[in-house]
Amino acid sequence: MAWRSRLSYIGWRHLSIFSNPSPSNWTKVVSDAEKIVGYPTSFMSLRCLLSDELSNVAMHVRKLVGTKHPLLNTARGFVYDSRNNLQMRGLIVLLMSKAAGPCPSTSDPIHDSMVSGIYPSQRNLAEITELIHTAFLVHRGIVNLKEWTNSDGPLKDMQFGNKMAVLSGDFLLANACTGLAQLNDTKVVELISSAIGDVVQGIYHESSTSAEEGSLTVASWEDQTFLSHGALLAKSCQAAMKLARHGNEAQNLAFLYGKHLALGHKLNSDLQPFVKSGSEPAVFSLDSAPVVFHRQIVGPERWRHQLKQVQNMARQIDYTKLRGLIKTERGVSQALDLCSYHGNKALEAMKCFPSSEARSALENMACAVTKF
Amino acid sequence: MAVPWSRCWRSGAGTAVLLDWCRGFSTRAFKVSGRRTPCSTAAPQPATARMKVLLRQGPVFNFNRPMTIARHRDRCLYTTPRVGCSICNDAKLKDPFSLAQKDLQNLYEDIKKQLLVSKAELKALCDYYFDGKGKAFRPMIVILMARACNVHSNKEGVLLPAQRSIAMISEMIHTASLVHDDVIDDSGTRRGKNTINKVWGERKAILAGDFILSVASMALARIGNNTVVSVLSQVIEDLVRGEFMQLGSKENENERFKHYLEKTFKKTASLIANSCKAVSILVNSDPEVHEIAYQYGRNVGIAFQLVDDILDFTSCANLLGKPSAADLKLGLATGPVLFACQQFPELHAMIMRRFSSDGDVDRAWQYVLKSDGVEQTNYLAQHYCQEAIRQIRRLRPSTERDALIQLTELVLRRDK
Repeated sequence: MAWRSRLSYIGWRHLSIFSNPSPSNWTKVVSDAEKIVGYPTSFMSLRCLLSDELSNVAMHVRKLVGTKHPLLNTARGFVYDSRNNLQMRGLIVLLMSKAAGPCPSTSDPIHDSMVSGIYPSQRNLAEITELIHTAFLVHRGIVNLKEWTNSDGPLKDMQFGNKMAVLSGDFLLANACTGLAQLNDTKVVELISSAIGDVVQGIYHESSTSAEEGSLTVASWEDQTFLSHGALLAKSCQAAMKLARHGNEAQNLAFLYGKHLALGHKLNSDLQPFVKSGSEPAVFSLDSAPVVFHRQIVGPERWRHQLKQVQNMARQIDYTKLRGLIKTERGVSQALDLCSYHGNKALEAMKCFPSSEARSALENMACAVTKF
Repeated sequence: MAVPWSRCWRSGAGTAVLLDWCRGFSTRAFKVSGRRTPCSTAAPQPATARMKVLLRQGPVFNFNRPMTIARHRDRCLYTTPRVGCSICNDAKLKDPFSLAQKDLQNLYEDIKKQLLVSKAELKALCDYYFDGKGKAFRPMIVILMARACNVHSNKEGVLLPAQRSIAMISEMIHTASLVHDDVIDDSGTRRGKNTINKVWGERKAILAGDFILSVASMALARIGNNTVVSVLSQVIEDLVRGEFMQLGSKENENERFKHYLEKTFKKTASLIANSCKAVSILVNSDPEVHEIAYQYGRNVGIAFQLVDDILDFTSCANLLGKPSAADLKLGLATGPVLFACQQFPELHAMIMRRFSSDGDVDRAWQYVLKSDGVEQTNYLAQHYCQEAIRQIRRLRPSTERDALIQLTELVLRRDK
């Protein structure tokens, strides 16, 4: 039982990672932006995808078809959604690089190496950011074998799926590490390594707060979401500035843009099940922003009562009913407010950059996360 | 001929590959021209004897290398060897562990200080194996190598803070990889404790490993040396590639030995070799010194793992902290099995199916004990140690250098 709720939770999470906030608008913004950075973004370097190691994994993952291992879902996501969100982080790093322009001191030897207004090192960084992000999508899907019961299928499949997930995630991280080393900037290595540590802490938190009784407050939700969803983008944007030898001010603004955009983006996707009209069955995490806000409004006592109300005999939650209950309070509107706050903060951070196509693209993305 | 030529060639070729590896290069040319004579003329010898002959023959050592380079390599890098500083001088000889002790004090405390996390549970997971009960084998080698290189570079009595950081980082990378390996192999105990995955579950174990790695990577970056960052990043890649290599088995016996030794290098020796190289880079700019440090670490590392693979067959279950024949149970064919397969071709099928049929593990174990696979693996390990000694002797003499020489003995003689 515990496993089942966890599984649906994992399934949901993958949905949220890959699904577009308000698809039409977002897709247009992203595809417009891709044209600005030079060539179509394919950051997951061919070197990695074509390596013996990953083709080995691909072969083995086929054996998992028909099992419930989350690695399958993640792998599917690479195929179906690779056009848009999977590479969003890399795209933003490139746009930010282009928006900030060449290194301020023209005598610097790195000056001539720009392609479409972006330094090669910044392109590598964008790729590394994607590698790290993908590595954690894979490591998030590790299954706890103790929670597995016979009715969920053979344990052997899960062990095997875990083995593949650990190895492929490690492989991506290792490639990120060697890629980082090649940037030849130990400050950037330190910054991105700290981002890896942040992501781990964020995900760890995710997997250890028990949703039913959770003591998650709005403030801690923001801290934790920054770690799990914002830190990598924020620090990568900052590092892109560092690579072009831009000063602290530009680095700081780039960091802020990355941070607020990521938080806005997360709020947007958390809000999707609550703002979509239509009769499609709702599934959402009890850690998503509107639920957390709602919990804080109603208090732990009433929340427990409401949860009981929407559970059936097998303690399964009727999400459509729960959504109805949440919609009667102000949780959803508070989350909407916070989403526009972060979108605006991201816009504000871009103000000091010289106006350019790249800057407009970043501004359009910041606007898109606040639209529903 | 008593033995079919093909078998003779196959087993001989296996050994030649091993020797190639031992010296850090591979060549096909010699294998073809040099092998046939002893096999086709002499009566078949027991495998060990055959190998000893191969090892003793002078040409085998230098066969594929222009003499000038060979001589150059063997030349000491110091000009005025001090008198009376040989390794036989017992009065001067200090046990490597106690020699490095002073620098290694508080190593685990310092590592724990680096692992800053707000969440108490994640902190507990990260600290779990830094309980001071590990052997700290890697940090010890790194410290001794650092001090030996420092003496060689006229910086006697000094240990740079960055060099000590490398010692810490090597232990952190090692631990992070242990944590992930235990999930991959579904192991239940390590160093007499339950594994992290058994106590907290696989998901958290993987995250803890990732976190330790990120902290190690930050500490590495803070040293501020791009070359050092590159050298140690290579280790992380090697560790993963080594783990991938363990997934597959090779049909061909030659390739199987090569595959095994390459895997052994990546999974165990790369960390030691590159950490040694890193501490040498920090004090000396001469690439030859870096190469000595690297080759010492590489050879000792491979020997260390070969002995580990032997102990998996010979040690009692609780001495090593993990159950015996663990490798067989995981489907892995290590040195002793590969050598045994030369005497008992019946093992071939079992290796290919990764000991997955009922009774395979027991049968393979019996074959290994009947064969001289253990002896031959041990012999190979000795050989790597000799090469390590030959390399490190090129540094100027120091107590630490001699401790590193003595360390090879400990590697060979350890029983856990």
